[in-house]
Amino acid sequence: MVRFVIRRLLLAITTLFAISIITFLLFFAVPTSPALVMCGKNCSPEQVSQVEHRLGLDRPLVDQYGTFVKGVFVGRTIGSGDFVRNCPAPCLGYSFRTDEPVTSILKRTVPITASIVVGSAVLWLVIGVSLGMTSALRRGTLFDRVAIGTSLVGASLQVYFFGLILLLLLVYDTGILPAPAYTPITQNPGKWALGMLLPWITLGFLNSALYARLSRAQMLETLSEDYVRTARAKGLPKRRVYIKHALRAAITPIITIAGLDIGASLGGTVITESIFGLQGLGRISVQAVEDLNLPIVLATVLIAAAFIVFMNIVVDVLYAFIDPRVRLS
Amino acid sequence: MRLKIGALAASALTLALITSACGKTTNNDGGGSDKAAAVQTGNISYDANDNKGPAPAVTGATKGGNLGVFLPDGFEHLDPARAYVNVAQLTDQLIGRTLTAIREDGKSGLKVIGDLATDPGKDVNGDCKTWKYTLRPGMKYEDGTPITANDVAYGIARSFSPDLTEGAHYIQQFLAGTDYNATYKGPYNGGADLPPGVTVPDASTIQFTFPAPHCDFPFAATMTTTTPVPKAKDTKTEYDRHPFSSGPYKIKSYQIGNSLTLARNTNWDPNTDPLRTAYPDTITFNFTLQGDQVAQRLIADAPADQSSLSWVNVPPANLQATTVAGVKDRVINGQTQFVWYYYLNTTRITDLNERKALNYALDKDAVVKSIGGTAAGTPATTLLSPTVAGYKKYDVFNAPPTGDPAKVKQLLGGKTPAPLVLAYANTPRRAAQAEAARKSLQAAGFTITTKSIDPTTYYTEIGRKGNPYDIYLGGWGADWPDAATVIPLLFDGRNITPTGNNNLGYLNDPAVNAEIDRINGLKSLPDRQAAWGALDQKIMTDDVPAIPAYYDNNYTLYGSKVAGNLFVSSAFGLPGLENVYVKQ
Amino acid sequence: MAVPSAVPSDEPYLQVRDLHVQFPTEDGVVRAVDGVSFAVRRGKTLGIVGESGSGKSVTSMSILGLHNAARTKITGEISVGGRNIVGMDDEKIRELRGQDMAMIFQDPLSALHPYFTVGSQIAEAYKVHHGSASKAESNRRAVEMLDRVGIPQPQRRAKQYPHEFSGGMRQRAMIAMSLVNDPALLIADEPTTALDVTVQAQILDLLEDLQREFNSAIIMITHDLGVVAQIADDVLVMYAGRAVETGSVEQVMRAPQHPYTWGLLASVPSLHGDAEIDLVPIKGNPPSLINLPNGCSFNPRCRYAGRNGNRSFSEVPELRETGRPGHLVACHLSGADRLQIYKEDIAHAGVAQ
Repeated sequence: MVRFVIRRLLLAITTLFAISIITFLLFFAVPTSPALVMCGKNCSPEQVSQVEHRLGLDRPLVDQYGTFVKGVFVGRTIGSGDFVRNCPAPCLGYSFRTDEPVTSILKRTVPITASIVVGSAVLWLVIGVSLGMTSALRRGTLFDRVAIGTSLVGASLQVYFFGLILLLLLVYDTGILPAPAYTPITQNPGKWALGMLLPWITLGFLNSALYARLSRAQMLETLSEDYVRTARAKGLPKRRVYIKHALRAAITPIITIAGLDIGASLGGTVITESIFGLQGLGRISVQAVEDLNLPIVLATVLIAAAFIVFMNIVVDVLYAFIDPRVRLS
Repeated sequence: MRLKIGALAASALTLALITSACGKTTNNDGGGSDKAAAVQTGNISYDANDNKGPAPAVTGATKGGNLGVFLPDGFEHLDPARAYVNVAQLTDQLIGRTLTAIREDGKSGLKVIGDLATDPGKDVNGDCKTWKYTLRPGMKYEDGTPITANDVAYGIARSFSPDLTEGAHYIQQFLAGTDYNATYKGPYNGGADLPPGVTVPDASTIQFTFPAPHCDFPFAATMTTTTPVPKAKDTKTEYDRHPFSSGPYKIKSYQIGNSLTLARNTNWDPNTDPLRTAYPDTITFNFTLQGDQVAQRLIADAPADQSSLSWVNVPPANLQATTVAGVKDRVINGQTQFVWYYYLNTTRITDLNERKALNYALDKDAVVKSIGGTAAGTPATTLLSPTVAGYKKYDVFNAPPTGDPAKVKQLLGGKTPAPLVLAYANTPRRAAQAEAARKSLQAAGFTITTKSIDPTTYYTEIGRKGNPYDIYLGGWGADWPDAATVIPLLFDGRNITPTGNNNLGYLNDPAVNAEIDRINGLKSLPDRQAAWGALDQKIMTDDVPAIPAYYDNNYTLYGSKVAGNLFVSSAFGLPGLENVYVKQ
Repeated sequence: MAVPSAVPSDEPYLQVRDLHVQFPTEDGVVRAVDGVSFAVRRGKTLGIVGESGSGKSVTSMSILGLHNAARTKITGEISVGGRNIVGMDDEKIRELRGQDMAMIFQDPLSALHPYFTVGSQIAEAYKVHHGSASKAESNRRAVEMLDRVGIPQPQRRAKQYPHEFSGGMRQRAMIAMSLVNDPALLIADEPTTALDVTVQAQILDLLEDLQREFNSAIIMITHDLGVVAQIADDVLVMYAGRAVETGSVEQVMRAPQHPYTWGLLASVPSLHGDAEIDLVPIKGNPPSLINLPNGCSFNPRCRYAGRNGNRSFSEVPELRETGRPGHLVACHLSGADRLQIYKEDIAHAGVAQ
């Protein structure tokens, strides 16, 4: 197990390296320079190259990449003379746009995205999965029909539609909820939850719908498995058959999908963040691409990739815990 | 060009969310806004009444409260050496003072007055080469220490640094030429604290000496470049997070990407300030909401938002809701200093009549409608914005804003023009607009193919001399409300370089070039302004290097408790805050 | 410890009378079992033979009461040790399941839960019917059972997962699980189909041994007449939800009377037969259980249909005595015809069509 995790982590690091190189190359394939954006008006070519020099954009690509990697692992100094700044490891550079350390941008934005994702994931996992499972067990009943009908509606709704409707109804028209805003959980957990409630409800509802359908299908499939029939043939009570034998098997593929979903969303929930005015990872990454803000582009791409890779490992380990047929080697 | 938030990188997402534009363009006579005067004037006022503090009180104003400002995504830079975006300049005006400033009342013309200085500047030798400023007595920073001329000089000195390039470069270039920091690179790394050409005879006097005459220096001195920065407080790149206050407000807290809170600088003395009334106790900027959310909140006018205003235009989807009673009187609607042109590449479309015909062909009304109608812009006929001193209202073609196809036929005289390439920045907004333009030109008899260009490289592409495009949209806004920051930059053919051009029509008319030189040499400001207006009209009559498409509009909302001087600043294209108050 | 049977020992432990099992679906009613009757005594084995879809598995599921009551219509009588399962309260059937009657499934790999150890699955089967038994006791019992069915090192094997067992070992474990409560009735649904021939023989031997030891009634469901010949006392041949022939093994295997049985026999490879003779599958497919053919359901596949007027196409044949006691057949052919055809076409040529 430990060896497996180590091996996977090494693989993950290789993946991240490859991604960083590709991002680097793609960025420099764009035929314009961020220095043009950063130099004010009427910049002479000399001044543009001064800015490029300041950003290190005039150095060979390999050299720039080397500096970046060095910064990540051991830190580096940025700038020269009086403007020398020490950027400790893990140094991801400074934003071209606001000159803020990328790490502090991440520190600011990752908790926001994570709050959205984790909070809503709890909601949709609990609601979606239990709804789907119950539906499967009560297949054909009124409960099942209502749940599946609702989830069909939910699954076909989009965040930007449903989110805006909720915003309009709950915030602007009635004022039942305050406008979404992020407060660090460490500062005021109540305020944190209240400010995140709307994105949670939105994502929670929409994903619940998806997961309800998924869980229902998965549970129905499991219920038709031979070993469930065996369990019943043994004379086990229904509850025990469902909970011990069926649920555990049905939930395994859902964990995989949920894990990857969560991993991918942690990289940024662009639409949700935009709708609710939350400055998360998704918003800044989109903005960074528009601004040719390489350090942020690199950092957001890498962190999104890291989340996905990490969640993959988590899913694999969880899988091994649940299913004894899976051996981590 | 004063940078404008979202001018290029308009959030693709937000736009995608907006359904179709439902804006209407009023059918005016094709001229500028009726609200604007036929001729805009800007004076450099030495009148003692204009230059004395305290600032004239706003009728009915009450002191106190918190003024909220909605500003999506916040500031790039607040460091006065790096602020160039209008929102940052307006905010810096509350935190820091500058040698001179522009007084506006939203009705009559502009006045350049002394801010830190007792007047807009003394032209020592009458040749516009040496300018002397005397600082007002009794001005203090947020820590109570006095503001000195050395600090103003130091602020200018540090703006030479290659590490702080984002701001305006006028004063630096006046002092040291186009490549202003080729030799002197600011006070860092052992450089002198005084930039070349600047002397500080005593703590309250600063003098500038330029190699060439700059009669508009009082305008240039309104830039945040002249904000005083005490050397002891210079935190270099960190200064961006906490500029030291010399104005009525100081930074209480600043969370990038989240919010900025300004609180009173108790050491600021209103009697020393002819410009700012500073009624609210605090000003809070919210950076987290996008345009549509801001609009929805201000339309709703819930108690929490009643004392807020927005610095972002109402998106087209929300326009309808702003026309109802209770909302429509809370709209600040007016033209900004930005004008959008369809440049006609004179090196490719060499026939003057064809360029004129294109002017008749374009349906400006449709072009404006495609991006949201009235709120987004007003069809233009002039090169200068109505907000710019020197603006003269004229219409060479007298075509309706929807175009005049009959006139096109007549001008072309039966000839079939060669196919033309219309280039545009590939964003949903610009693509829709290009399509509207293409349709109208096509309908008038031109063969148009469109070419999309990546938005990040758009200006690089069209700024390349010899580019393969015929027609392309470009916007320009004056840095200070004077034609001198527009016409020479856009139409002086001697400035054409292989890349990075602002003269996007690639016009090089010796007559225009000579006239620019003549006007720059005129001593009298009113003479210069009148001459710029005439040159504007002459270029559109004799050269036609562009189709003036539309004047950019500000269309923002404010809450029902916000009052005071609420109008679109001619200098900044947004409502300024210095004389706004919150009803108590 | 089976609950002592309330019926006299000479009564069959299981009696099925006129069993009908129907599944209403959107396309129509599926008549999976259509009036089947049979009986099994303790210590005896009944082989139920038929193709897939003939209703044999549905029948066994009905006996265990495993059909979803909401979606199945069951009529007739299933008497287990004197108690009628049909219409019985679900909780009461549950108590019988695994205790009085148990089932061995076809594919032990899919029938055992992949996530739990073999031992725990057996122990669970014991514990559920022995509420007072401790966990250790249940586990001990599981190991004991594994030992009993011939699994070496049962202590160690009990802690392994099904995927760590070989096919034959898995089936042994399955048998151990079904026998853990000494059931009076054991239903084995194709218990050897998934296994290779040598293992198959071992498993059948084991079942016979265990039957002797526990005196259980066994229903052996299979499509393999070889298995039936080896283990069963009586045979029931099912086709399209109906019994078409029934009798002792001797009677049905030696003197089959139904054309379908002939077909089955012809399509089975014989360990002792002549390998040169080609196996002959029964042509055509089993009919749709929603739209059964009129008359004899086998008529579309029967080369003798119509020999006796039009009755094969209009009248459902009833099970009738063939003349030997206990041997019944549902066929419109006259007894003489059947004997003659069997003699001439089948017995020698081994060809039924």
